[in-house]
Amino acid sequence: MSRRKHACRSRCWARDGGWRKKVMEPNLACFVLFTLFGSVITSLADHNGTRHYTYCVLGAGPAGLQMGYFLSRARRDYIILERNSGPGGFFNKYPRHRKLISINKIHTGRQNREFNLRHDWNSLLSDRPDLLLRRVSGEFYPPADAFPLYLSAFAKELDLRVRYGVDIGRVRSVPSASGRSYVLTDQRASDYTCSVLLVATGLWVPQQVEFVGSDLVEGYESISTNPEDYRDQAVLILGKGNSAFETAQSVLGSASRVHMLSSSPVRLAWQTHYVGDLRAVNNELIDTYQLKSLDGLIEARLEKLVIAERREQGRWRGGRRRRSGGQKEERKLYVTLKKYLLNRSDGNDSAVAGEELPGHHIDNFSLRRPYDRVIRCLGFRFNFSIFDRSACPPNSENAKGRFPAVGPWYEGTNTPGLFVLGAASHSRDYRASAGGFIHGFRYTARAVHRVLERRYHGNPWPSTKVSTSQLLSWILKRIGEASGPYQMFEVLGDVILLRGAHCEYVEEFLLQALPHFSSLSGHEVSSHGLIVVAMQYGKKEIDSLGRDRAETDWTRAWESNFLHPVLYYYKTLPTEEEMKTRPQGWPLPRPEAIHHMVEDFLTEWDGPLSHIQPLRRFLEHCVNTDLRAFYAESCFRSALTHRKPPLFCQQGYLNRRGVPRSHRLREPVPSAGATAAAERGAAGTPGADSAFPHYLAPAGAAMSSGLKLDF
Amino acid sequence: GFPLQVGLLLCSIEVNLKLSEQSSCKDCFLSFDLDTVFDVNSIVSEVLFAILREEVKYVHTDTDLLAMERSARGKTDIVLGYVRSLGTQDHRSLMETAYVYSSKHQFILITGGPVLKADDSSVSSRVWFLHCRAHGGSPASERCPSTRMRWSLSALKLHSFLQLMEAPLSEVYVDPASVPPPQFPHQLTPQVFLFSRPETELLDLASASALAWRLRGLALLLLVHRWSPAVKTSDEYNAAYRLQDEEEEEEEDEEEKEEGSFLFVLDDEVAADVFEKRASQPDTDSITQLTSGNFHAEIARSSLTVALFYLKWDAVSMEFLSSFIDVAERLVNDVQMSAVDCGEWTDLCGAQPGTPVPFRPIATFPSVLLLRPQQPAQRYRGMLGGEALHRFIMMSRTASPLLLSTQEEVTSFLQEADFLSLILFQIKPDAGGCFSPGSSVFAEAAKSLRGEVLSGLLSGEPAAKWYRLFTNSIFRVSSCKSQDFLLFLPARQRRTKCHRDLWTPELTVENLPSFLSLGKALLLLFVGEEDDEFGRRQSQALVEELRGVRTERYLTCWIHLGRTPAGMSVLGSYLGSMPPLPALVLTHLPTGDEIYQYPPSTPIVASSVLRWLQKVEDGTESPAGTLGDDSWPPAFQFYDFLKVMDMQEPDSTEQEAPTDDEEVDVEEHLVAEQLTDHHPDIGPKFHSEL
Repeated sequence: MSRRKHACRSRCWARDGGWRKKVMEPNLACFVLFTLFGSVITSLADHNGTRHYTYCVLGAGPAGLQMGYFLSRARRDYIILERNSGPGGFFNKYPRHRKLISINKIHTGRQNREFNLRHDWNSLLSDRPDLLLRRVSGEFYPPADAFPLYLSAFAKELDLRVRYGVDIGRVRSVPSASGRSYVLTDQRASDYTCSVLLVATGLWVPQQVEFVGSDLVEGYESISTNPEDYRDQAVLILGKGNSAFETAQSVLGSASRVHMLSSSPVRLAWQTHYVGDLRAVNNELIDTYQLKSLDGLIEARLEKLVIAERREQGRWRGGRRRRSGGQKEERKLYVTLKKYLLNRSDGNDSAVAGEELPGHHIDNFSLRRPYDRVIRCLGFRFNFSIFDRSACPPNSENAKGRFPAVGPWYEGTNTPGLFVLGAASHSRDYRASAGGFIHGFRYTARAVHRVLERRYHGNPWPSTKVSTSQLLSWILKRIGEASGPYQMFEVLGDVILLRGAHCEYVEEFLLQALPHFSSLSGHEVSSHGLIVVAMQYGKKEIDSLGRDRAETDWTRAWESNFLHPVLYYYKTLPTEEEMKTRPQGWPLPRPEAIHHMVEDFLTEWDGPLSHIQPLRRFLEHCVNTDLRAFYAESCFRSALTHRKPPLFCQQGYLNRRGVPRSHRLREPVPSAGATAAAERGAAGTPGADSAFPHYLAPAGAAMSSGLKLDF
Repeated sequence: GFPLQVGLLLCSIEVNLKLSEQSSCKDCFLSFDLDTVFDVNSIVSEVLFAILREEVKYVHTDTDLLAMERSARGKTDIVLGYVRSLGTQDHRSLMETAYVYSSKHQFILITGGPVLKADDSSVSSRVWFLHCRAHGGSPASERCPSTRMRWSLSALKLHSFLQLMEAPLSEVYVDPASVPPPQFPHQLTPQVFLFSRPETELLDLASASALAWRLRGLALLLLVHRWSPAVKTSDEYNAAYRLQDEEEEEEEDEEEKEEGSFLFVLDDEVAADVFEKRASQPDTDSITQLTSGNFHAEIARSSLTVALFYLKWDAVSMEFLSSFIDVAERLVNDVQMSAVDCGEWTDLCGAQPGTPVPFRPIATFPSVLLLRPQQPAQRYRGMLGGEALHRFIMMSRTASPLLLSTQEEVTSFLQEADFLSLILFQIKPDAGGCFSPGSSVFAEAAKSLRGEVLSGLLSGEPAAKWYRLFTNSIFRVSSCKSQDFLLFLPARQRRTKCHRDLWTPELTVENLPSFLSLGKALLLLFVGEEDDEFGRRQSQALVEELRGVRTERYLTCWIHLGRTPAGMSVLGSYLGSMPPLPALVLTHLPTGDEIYQYPPSTPIVASSVLRWLQKVEDGTESPAGTLGDDSWPPAFQFYDFLKVMDMQEPDSTEQEAPTDDEEVDVEEHLVAEQLTDHHPDIGPKFHSEL
C-alpha cells in the first residue's frame, strides 16, 4: 500500500517539470492544437496578466457544469476552465462501445420531478424542469454521443461561464490575503488566480498494472471497436469491471474465445447494490461461460502474471491480420507466471521458452492456450500530474490510490480551498454509494456548494421551518420523493433540528461531516436534539433473489434488505471520535434511538399502519410529546381541561384551524338530531367502570364515526 | 374525598326536593340508606337519577307501563330497564346511558313487581328496547314490539345495543370481502350479507328489512347490490355471513389484547377514520386537479379558484378533502374548486419566491388558498370543515369592500348578507371632496377580512341616511372632516343574540379558540339540554343573571351541553363526577390550575356569585378539581428498534474500539493470496490454478 502511495505521489507535478509532461491523449492532441490556434487570438485581446476569480472550476464535465450552475444561480464570480472545445469531452470517447449504462427512465408513472430524478441517472440538477437528458435521448440506455449534446444544452441555456480550450497544465497554491489561493497556468502560460479551486477533472488516466510483458497489452482506450477485427481470435481481457465486460460483449460474436482475468471474482451490481460493479446490461459473458460456450472467468493477481510473445511458424490461422512483411509467422501471446521464468539477463526479449510456459508444469493449466490479444480494461485514475506539490492532494487510501484523498466535505486533505467534485471525489463512498457517478455527485456538488456559501458568504444552509405537528408529513414527503438521499444512500441525509414547537428541516447534509454540522451549515443544534433521515440497504449478505429477501413485518424493519429509510435520533451532535468508531457498516454512530421503516416493494412508504404510525411514535419519542391529530371536539375538551391542549390542537385548533368531523354525505342523509345524539353518545360513554377516566384517549379511534357507517 | 362527595350528594338532593314538589318518586330517595352512600356506583347513579328526574320515569305497575307506551307511540322509542337494586353498578350504567340518550329515547326504570314478564327469573338486571316510534300506527297490538338486550348490563354494552337498534340494515356496493368488520363497540356482532339483483331490487330490500328486523340486536344486516362491478362473489350465492373473532368476546380479553396489539391498531382518531373509509375513495369529479402544467391556465379561467393543497398520506388532508368535495358539490359554477396533490406536484407546492406562482411555498398541510387572476393568493384560515369553508367562500365571492351608493344596492347587499354574522360598513356621507386616509385603511382591512366579514362602502344618499340612523354605534376612524365612519353591524338574524354574546358568550367547539386567546380565567356555566320552553327560559334566565357578574378578570361564558356534548366530559373531568346541572365553575385561573365549583346548593344569582368569586380570590374556597397536566407525553410507547437489535444482534449496534480506519479490501486480499500460492493439486472446478 505504501509503495503504491509513493508511486502515485510522484505523479504530481514536479517543481521543475513543464505542463507538457502531462499525459495527453493522442487523439485529443489535435483537438487542443486546433483550439489553441483559435483561442490565441481571443486571449491576445484579453491577455492582461493574471485573471482573478473567486471560484475556478476545473473541467466542464457533468460535475463542473453542475457546480457552475449553482455558482451561477448564486451570482458568484466564477469561471469553468475546459481544455476541449466543448463540454464532457470524456464522453466523446468513452465508453468505447458508445452505450451509456446509466439508466434514463422516462416513464415512471409519476409526474413528480423530484421523484423522477430517482430514475434518471444522467440529468443534472437545475430549476429548468425540461433540461433533462430525455430531451436528447429517449433510450433507456442512451447513446454516449447524447451526453455531450445534453451538457452543451445545459451550459448554453443556463448561460454558464465556460472557457473552452484552456488546458491547465499546472496548479499551485500561493499565500494570499485571505489565506491561500490557487494559481492555474494554462498552455499559453496564462495564469488564473482563484480563492477556491473546484477540481472536476474526472478520471481519465487509464489505470495500469506493471508486470512482465505489460507492454504487449492493448488498452481499452485504444482498442478497435470493430468486432470484425477480432474474428476467430482468442482474447484475454484483464479486468472484470464494466469496461471489461462491455469489451467482452462486443467481441463475443466474433472472437473464438474470450477469457477475463482479474484478482477478484465478478461482483454483480444487483447483488452489491453498487452501480460500479458489473451491471446486468453487460453480463452476457457470464451466460455464455456457464452455458458451456468457450468463454470464461479466471481469478489471478495481475502483478504475478507474465505475458510473453511467441512466434509460431507455419501454422495457418483464419485471421486476416498478418505481421508486417507478410511473414508466415503468427504472433501469439502466452500467459505464464513470474515464478516459471528462467533467469535471463536480456530483459528486452519478450520471447519465452517452452519450459517457461505453465503448461509445461501443470498440464491442465487454465490459460495454457495462447491468445491473439490481451486487452487491459482496468478503469481510470485521477490525473495528479498537473498539481504542484503545494496543491497536490494525496492519493486515496482505498481504490488502489486512484482518487485524490478528500475530507468529509470534499475538501482536499492538506489543501484548504481546493475541493474535488465528480467522479474523482468517489473516495468518500467508493464501492458503497453513488458518489462516483453522475446521479450521485450531482447532489454532492450541491452539498459542497452549500458548504461554500456558508463558509465564504455567510449564508446558512437552506432550511425549512416546519411546525412540529407537521413534521411527520414532511418526513413522509421527503421519504416519498427526495432523490438525493435515495441516490446517495448512506452518504446524504436530511437533518431535522428539533426546537420544541417547530423544527428546522435541513435537506441533504453530508452524513460523514455530521460532527461539524453546526459550523458547516450555520444552524445550531438545540437541547432538543436532532434527527437524521437517511436511506440504507440491509447489511446482511443475502441471496438477492432468494425467498427470504424481503421483509414485510414493520416490527422487523431493521432486518430490511432493500433500500429503506432509517432515522437516527441524537441528543447532541456525534463527535468525530464517535463517527470513527461507529458500528461496522453503519453510516452514523450509535444514536439515542433508531427507527427503521420497513422496506417497501413499491418504495412508497405511506402505509398508515406499517409506515406512518410507527414513524409517528418514534417522532413522539424524540420530541417527547403526543403528535396525534385530533378532531376539533377532542381539542375542545383538552383545551378546557388542560391549560394547553396537545400540540396538534395548539397549532391547529387554537389557531382556529380545527378539524370538525366530516359527515360524508350519503343517501339518506342522517338527520342533524340523530347525528348529534350519536356524537353525544360517543362522547358521553367512555369509561364503563370508573367515573370518567380518560376523557381524551378513548374519544378517538374506538368511538369514532364508524357507528355512523351503517346509516 | 368522601365527606365532600357526601356533601355534594345531599346538597343536590336538597335542591331537587326543593325544586320538584311534584316529584312522583320521593320514595326512591327515602329508600337509600347510608351504606350505599360510600360507594361510587351509588353516588353516581343517585346523582344522575336526581339530575334526570324528569327524563327517567319510574314505573310500578304494568298499567303504568302500558300508558307510557301508548303516549310514546309514533314519537319515541322506550328503553326499559330493570335493575335489582338501586345504587349498584347496573343502576349506574343505566343512568349513565340515560344521561346520554334521554333526549332521544324515553327511559323507564322498574325494580321488579308485576311489570316483569313471567318468563323472567328476575335474578339479573335486564334492558328492553320498545320500538314505539316506528310502530305508532300499528293496530295489531297495543304494546310496542320489544327487543331484549342479551348481554349483561354495562354502559358500553348498552351503548352498543342502542346503536344496534338504530342500524339494522345498510346497503353496500362492494364485495362482502371488502366490507370492513363492524366498528367498536360492535366488533363482536356478526354481519349478514344478502345479495340483491337489479331485477328484484325492491323485493330484496323488503325481505332484507324484514330479516333485519328479526335479527335486530343480534346481527348487522347488509344488502349487497349485485349490479356494482365491485361485487365479486359468485352468482350462485344469495347470502353470506361473517362471524367476528372469538377471542375478542370478553371485554377483559379485549383490554389485554390492546396491550399487545397497540402496534397494529391506529391510535389517531383522524387517521383511523380515514383508514376506515379507505375503501370508498371520494369522487373527485367536482373538483379540478391543478398541476404544474395547467395551474396558470386554470387560475386565469375563473374569477375565483379555491385550491386545496393536500398530501395523500396526511389523514387531516384526506379528511378535509372529503369535506372540500362536499362543498364543491354544493357550490354553483362561478367558483372553481380545485385541489393540488402536493405529493405529486412538489414543484408547484414548493415553488420558491421569484417563480410566477402567486403564493409562498406551502409548508402546512392541508392549506386552502383563494386565487384570483392577477392577484396574490388569499389564505383560508378557518376551520378545516365543510361548513366553515362554504361560508368563507360564499362571503369571499362578494367584492370587499362592496361599493354601495343607492338604496337598492344597500337592500340587496343586506339580503345577501343575511346569514352572516358581521357586516362592516364604511359610511361616507360626503362622497366627494377630501381624500381620506381612512379609506385606504378600510380597504386594506376589508381586503384582508374578505371571507370572514362582509364589508360595504356606503356613499351618497344611503350614507347620509345611515349616518343619521346609527350615529350612536358608529366608530369614527378618520379625522378628515369627520367623514368616514365605520359601522359594525351584526347580521339581522343574529343581531340580538350577538349583542348578548359579546358579554356572555356561549362556548362552542368552533368559537372556544377565540375566547381562550383572551387569556382570561373562565367563569363557566354548564347548562343541560332543556326539553321544553320552560327549561329553555330557565337557562336563559341564568345566563342573563350571569351577565351581572361581569368582571375584567374573568370571561363569563356558558356551555350548552345539548349543543356542545363535548362539554359533558369536560365537566366530568373538572369535578371527578357529574354534578347536577346547571353547574358553575371557575377555571383557567392565571394563578394556578385549581378549578372551583360554585356551591350547587346555592341559587345562581349575581350577587352571591360575586361573593363566591371574592372568596375564591381570598383563598378561602377549596378547589373542586385541577386542570390536567400541560405536558402531553406520547400516548403509546415507541417501538425501540435499538433495544431489539441489541438483544438479537448485540455486536452489530455497538461502537467499535478505536482502530486504524484504513479501508482495505479484505476479501480481495484473501482471494488473491489463496490463488497466488502454488497449489498444484487444486481442483479444476475453480478455474483458479494460478
